[in-house]
Amino acid sequence: MSVLLVILLMWAVTYPVRLLGLNLGRLQLPPFWLAFLKYVPVSVFAALVVPDIVTSPEWPRRMIAAVVGGLLMWRTRQLALGILVGFAAYWLARVAGL
Amino acid sequence: MFPLWLGMVPFAVAYAVTARAGGLTPLEIQLMSLTVFAGASQIAAAGLFVKGAAGVGIVLTTFLLNVRHVLYGLSLAKQLPLTPPQRTLAAQFLTDEAYGMVTVKGAEEPGGLSFAFLLGAELSLYTIWNASTLLGSLAGAVLPPPEQLGVGVIFPLAFLGLLVPLLVDRITLAVALTSGLVAWGLSHFLPSGLVILGSGVGGALLGAVLHTRLKLAGDSA
Repeated sequence: MSVLLVILLMWAVTYPVRLLGLNLGRLQLPPFWLAFLKYVPVSVFAALVVPDIVTSPEWPRRMIAAVVGGLLMWRTRQLALGILVGFAAYWLARVAGL
Repeated sequence: MFPLWLGMVPFAVAYAVTARAGGLTPLEIQLMSLTVFAGASQIAAAGLFVKGAAGVGIVLTTFLLNVRHVLYGLSLAKQLPLTPPQRTLAAQFLTDEAYGMVTVKGAEEPGGLSFAFLLGAELSLYTIWNASTLLGSLAGAVLPPPEQLGVGVIFPLAFLGLLVPLLVDRITLAVALTSGLVAWGLSHFLPSGLVILGSGVGGALLGAVLHTRLKLAGDSA
């Protein structure tokens, strides 16, 4: 599949979902499925993060970056700071030969 | 609103840098920001391009990540009656940030929440997102190759930034831990697109089960 096609299909599965919600103002979803939708982001984000760190060939450096960056984001709620300091921690580990 | 605008910049740059590492041209990188306009799924897609994942997996992951927009639409439609043409337009630019901005700030406006306020909030975010994407693309063009810079680590860091604020109670922690560990296990024998889908749906189901159980227990107590 070409990159262009992937992008257009990504659009094709995103826009209708947004429109659907706006058009269903009167619908009442069952509580279970409302909860399901609510937990999708937390679940997907974790599924994206964990394998990307632990199965990477440079996992010790990435682990250090994630711990440092994650703790900082948790304590300060400053996303950009977390990314920058996490990236710096990665480089410190890399320079140190980890 | 300013912190929200500022908050998008590192994400857009992370997206553009990761997408470049995944072999996308600056034009393709920009096209995705102009059409899809969904931060989390764009960064996820970029990361999957880096891994060489199949197109179908990328599209399905995008769908899974964006089904939550149904919730925003539902909630917005209850707060603000929109005509069909207004819905058609507003839907293209509906994001987590726009929803948050409109529900929190819209009510404080003189005259209450309006379509003009909704579209203004949406378009301001759209502009920042696309300008920052371009910035990330341009930075990527003048810097050394992505591997040398070690920018691969930006991808998990960006998603940690999305994940950490969501970990607010025991259920969200349980969901994140389970989904993350299942994804690690599955990644040994499944392609990355399917790993995200499988553990993403599984984790959200677990969350819904725990949520409804605890709710029932709370109601009967």
